[in-house]
Amino acid sequence: MRGVTTFETMGTVVSLRGATPEAASEVRAVFAGYDHRYSLYDPSSVLSRVADGSVRLADTPSEVRDVYALALDWRERTGGAFTPHRPDGVIDLSGVVKALAIRDAGAVLDAASGGGDWMVNAGGDVLVRGHHRSDDPWSVGVVDPTHRDTVVGVVRLEAPRRAVATSGSAERGEHIWRRAAPTFVQATVIADDIVTADVLATAVVAGDAEDLRRLTSDAGVDVLAFGADGTVWATPGARSAVRTEDGAASAVT
Amino acid sequence: MRARVIAGGVVSSIAVLVVGWQLGGQPAVTAPAQQSTTSGSGTTGTSTGTSGSTGTGTGTTGGTTGSTGTGTTGGSSATGTFTGDTTQTRYGPVQVQITVAKGTITDVTALQLTNSDGRSVQISQQAAPILRQEALQAQSAQIQSVSGATFTSEGYTTSLQSAIDKAGL
Repeated sequence: MRGVTTFETMGTVVSLRGATPEAASEVRAVFAGYDHRYSLYDPSSVLSRVADGSVRLADTPSEVRDVYALALDWRERTGGAFTPHRPDGVIDLSGVVKALAIRDAGAVLDAASGGGDWMVNAGGDVLVRGHHRSDDPWSVGVVDPTHRDTVVGVVRLEAPRRAVATSGSAERGEHIWRRAAPTFVQATVIADDIVTADVLATAVVAGDAEDLRRLTSDAGVDVLAFGADGTVWATPGARSAVRTEDGAASAVT
Repeated sequence: MRARVIAGGVVSSIAVLVVGWQLGGQPAVTAPAQQSTTSGSGTTGTSTGTSGSTGTGTGTTGGTTGSTGTGTTGGSSATGTFTGDTTQTRYGPVQVQITVAKGTITDVTALQLTNSDGRSVQISQQAAPILRQEALQAQSAQIQSVSGATFTSEGYTTSLQSAIDKAGL
């Protein structure tokens, strides 16, 4: 049986299921590579050197500029709710690099397992393939932002919805920069791919109720969002993740 | 090319519903504890609070690497108690222990709580029983991962994930 592998990277913990030791070390290298290029905590990273002015963005490796372009594309797609620019102007790609590392880790695990079952969890952002057991999907508990030690819901990941990510208003890393008074304190997004899930979770927390409606309007994702006023917002597909006391969530039209 | 997230005009294709549920105002409903008393080969392990992360007690562990705690894992259903790694947070160390019966978490206990910040202690003390309650009430504990965001929960989440990993759930 292939067990659980965990390692620390990017200031958080990565947990792997279904990975051979060889695949696990390859995954570890994937995360380390992203961290080495994009960490603003590491003064020697490429992005840190761009931030301090010692390297021009145009002189960075093409993959760095590609990631920046991807982040800018998401800024457009989210109407500015997601942005790779810190208020002081520094380019901060931490909003996408963890998800990109998870995505690439998934490719490693796919190649190593030959289409088998696996799960990768990096600091609460989760991507899976297949099933936990033959009949049971991989299941992810969502932490209550108010009662921070409480699991309030369970997201069951079944293809094509293989990714879930959660962002919060007090998230470490501070890559969420609010445009207005906070509407949501936490957002969990379930999507087909981890980059979409992670970026949109960030965007929902940065935005307001209107942004939430806009971001969910194409039915490509499901969202479980916790309002600052104590309400919980859920798309129909996400409602089953949360069970209320009477076992059913009521819809307000 | 992935479909644009902002599909102009398609506003009502998915309705965002408000779940009429006030977090925080919810009383702790006492659900009958689902004591799935273990039958079969699994032994329900017992454990005392372990400082550090070395398990004590009886039971066998198999199928996991570096297991701590007691109980049986392997195959598809773990039973016993599993202690997560101690996580250092800016408020102090946090360590979580779970009790598992046939693959389902039946109890969650914080062995170590932060003690350098009064507010954090209060949060932990309030929340731990609620987590226990929820795990029983919602049967929401057959999980292999946890997803959360607030930085104060990170230590707890990390240790909880660690315990889940060790149980091999």
